[in-house]
Amino acid sequence: MFQAMGVHGPTLSPFASLVLDAALLGVAFWLLAKPTKRPIRDTLFLAALVLSVSLIRVVMQPLPNIQPVTVAALLVGAQLGARRGAAFAVLVAMISNFFMGDGWWTVFQAAGWASIAVAGSQLSLVTPSGLNLRRAIFASLAAAVWFDIIVSFSILDGTIGFVEFMTYLLHGVPFDLLHMAGNLAFVVWMGSWFCNLLEEQPSLEEIEFAVVNGHGIDG
Amino acid sequence: MFQRLMAFLLFSLMLLPLVSSDETKSSWNQENSQAWEYDFGAGYISTSPIFVDEKIIVRTSGHSEPSVTALELDGTLAWEHSNLNSKSNDMSPLLAVESGEGACGVWPDLLLVGWTDGTIDALHPSNGSVYWTAQTEVAGWGITGAASVSQDHVIYPTRRGIGQFCLADGSQDWWVATGLGWRNGVSVYGDSIYSGDELGTLWHVHPAGNATALASFQGKIRHAPLLTSAGLLVHVQSPMDSTVFILDPESGQQRQQFLAGPSPAVPSLQGQYAVVADSQNLRVLKCNDTCSVESQIPFHTNGEIGWHIDGQIIAPSNTPDSNWGSFIFEDGQNLTFEFIDVGIYGYGTAAPLWFVSNGVNYTAFGNDQSVLHLYQLAKAEETERSENFDWATQGIIFTAYVLLGSSAIFILSGNRDLFLRSSSLLTVLVLLLMAPNLSQLWSEAVDQNLPASTTEDWNDDWPESWLGTQIVIFEFDGEEVAVGGLMGHDSVYALTKAAAEERGYSFTVEETSIGIYISSINGVQGDGWEYFVDGSKGRVSVDNVDIESTSIVRWTPV
Repeated sequence: MFQAMGVHGPTLSPFASLVLDAALLGVAFWLLAKPTKRPIRDTLFLAALVLSVSLIRVVMQPLPNIQPVTVAALLVGAQLGARRGAAFAVLVAMISNFFMGDGWWTVFQAAGWASIAVAGSQLSLVTPSGLNLRRAIFASLAAAVWFDIIVSFSILDGTIGFVEFMTYLLHGVPFDLLHMAGNLAFVVWMGSWFCNLLEEQPSLEEIEFAVVNGHGIDG
Repeated sequence: MFQRLMAFLLFSLMLLPLVSSDETKSSWNQENSQAWEYDFGAGYISTSPIFVDEKIIVRTSGHSEPSVTALELDGTLAWEHSNLNSKSNDMSPLLAVESGEGACGVWPDLLLVGWTDGTIDALHPSNGSVYWTAQTEVAGWGITGAASVSQDHVIYPTRRGIGQFCLADGSQDWWVATGLGWRNGVSVYGDSIYSGDELGTLWHVHPAGNATALASFQGKIRHAPLLTSAGLLVHVQSPMDSTVFILDPESGQQRQQFLAGPSPAVPSLQGQYAVVADSQNLRVLKCNDTCSVESQIPFHTNGEIGWHIDGQIIAPSNTPDSNWGSFIFEDGQNLTFEFIDVGIYGYGTAAPLWFVSNGVNYTAFGNDQSVLHLYQLAKAEETERSENFDWATQGIIFTAYVLLGSSAIFILSGNRDLFLRSSSLLTVLVLLLMAPNLSQLWSEAVDQNLPASTTEDWNDDWPESWLGTQIVIFEFDGEEVAVGGLMGHDSVYALTKAAAEERGYSFTVEETSIGIYISSINGVQGDGWEYFVDGSKGRVSVDNVDIESTSIVRWTPV
């Protein structure tokens, strides 16, 4: 695992890498292709989010298996929904791997974080009073294990049997613990702040519409 | 109540360093202080240095210029003698012979050096000049075991036999074929010469040069047999463990046997006591009519065991980042143990050198780090800490302490949110500090408990001399380049480095917090390199994988 330095699975030719990246990008756009009242603002916000989390991931690369993206994907899914959460996960995996090393494993990382974002959208992590910290902690710990298992599938290149795969997973347990500890720290320190940041604020038109609509109903 | 208990536990953790600080400074370290350090730059110190003619003589090998280097007592270079043809790890111990005369002639003080290219050099210890040179056979390797002096001759184990040479001129009296050997030292007891081989045969050679197989075992004999009063002691290495046999020295009949751990060290004998060791334990045997295990202590050592005349045993712990173990054997009963910090860490197989000069007791240490540290017996003085002060690590540890204290205070005050924040960060810091060691220990535990599911097959095109040795295969553009006949390498990293050097390949590495990463071989970087040990895909960093003496390592570009 280590010698490969994040390099798993079959080697891809430049063309295959291009196709893969195009496919991932296509998935991200498909997930985002939804009518919205504020297309420019939403797009800019998501782009800023993706770029900043990608940058944080790249900067934190020297810390073994400390993965800020996992918690980010969980909370983005919880606040912005499954589609935008999954799109966010795919884009972060692509952009950060552009600096850290792109390849077959990007698909698994994207899938891992996207599935965590989907799970985040279903786990009622955010309540009207804010982030449910207890629930978010458990979800982030489970997400670390889930993501590491999903990414480990990328080593299956036809030469590895079941026993070897299980051995591989066992070897990674200390790094799973690191991932879990990192997630715990991110949730505890940044969870509520990040959730508030992602909270959708209604636009002036929406407020006006709601007020008028309310008066209409009252009338 | 729970909060107070948790706070008490957290505060208790802060006291741990007070306990460990008492433990880290061993009694040996309190009595000895470092005199100087000599950095050889490259290569391994695989055998114990010796002290001759007021000089400390050290052999280094496993790099481009295998050498024997003499250092003055103040650590300055006296002379150096190199053998550029000796390409592999030189493990044959240096042998000092005092001047004398015999039937075959007269000789001065000599320093005998056996090389892996089969050469025997007899050097003048005073200046390193060559007195005579003899060439022995080479079959992949030449000389790797300990020689022994018999009157006016020296007896050397070669790769496939044993030869006797005149000390006066190096002429060969006889050479007799035995079995393929490695680290197969020779011992001489009266008219009997003993040596073992890689097929587990114990050979008895008569002074005239006739060899007979005395006994045969399932395993490998990689040391000079020892004659105890209970019989001949042979420590036989098997793939998963080893066995200490006590034999009748005349008939080879087995008298006793003791099961031991894998990868045995070179046993040592002093009077009625013998020390045997392996990757799991160090044992002291008491041998009179029979041998019995007097004491044993868990310790990992695979090379030479130093035994001072005052009863102190010091052996290098042959593990990554390891140190030396000191064992005191008092009154033939109590074996006590402590780690000693000699400032050189990592794999090692060389016993320390003890000597006295001008009334001062010295101890010299060297290992695979290619650095020699000389200590002298004196009250250790306060060392300049600032020189080696690791600000980054100390900063992290300080932060961890602040977080530990904060966590305890926050839980006492009932501030759950702040407690979670400080303790979560503390957990991350502690795990990050522990990650390299933790992952290595965990991987070793996993590997030990899970059998290898695949194997790397022997290639019939490979030379027979590679049998029983370590082999590295590099794959370039679908073609394989194999380098074999390598021995004595403990990790994938050491073996790969040796193979690359032998083949003349450039070799770049990146050192990271969790180990060494090989980034390019012979200029080929690509998307990285993967390795397989005996068919199993490598899962941890190359310096953290222990390998067997017959391992086959395959490197494949990703």
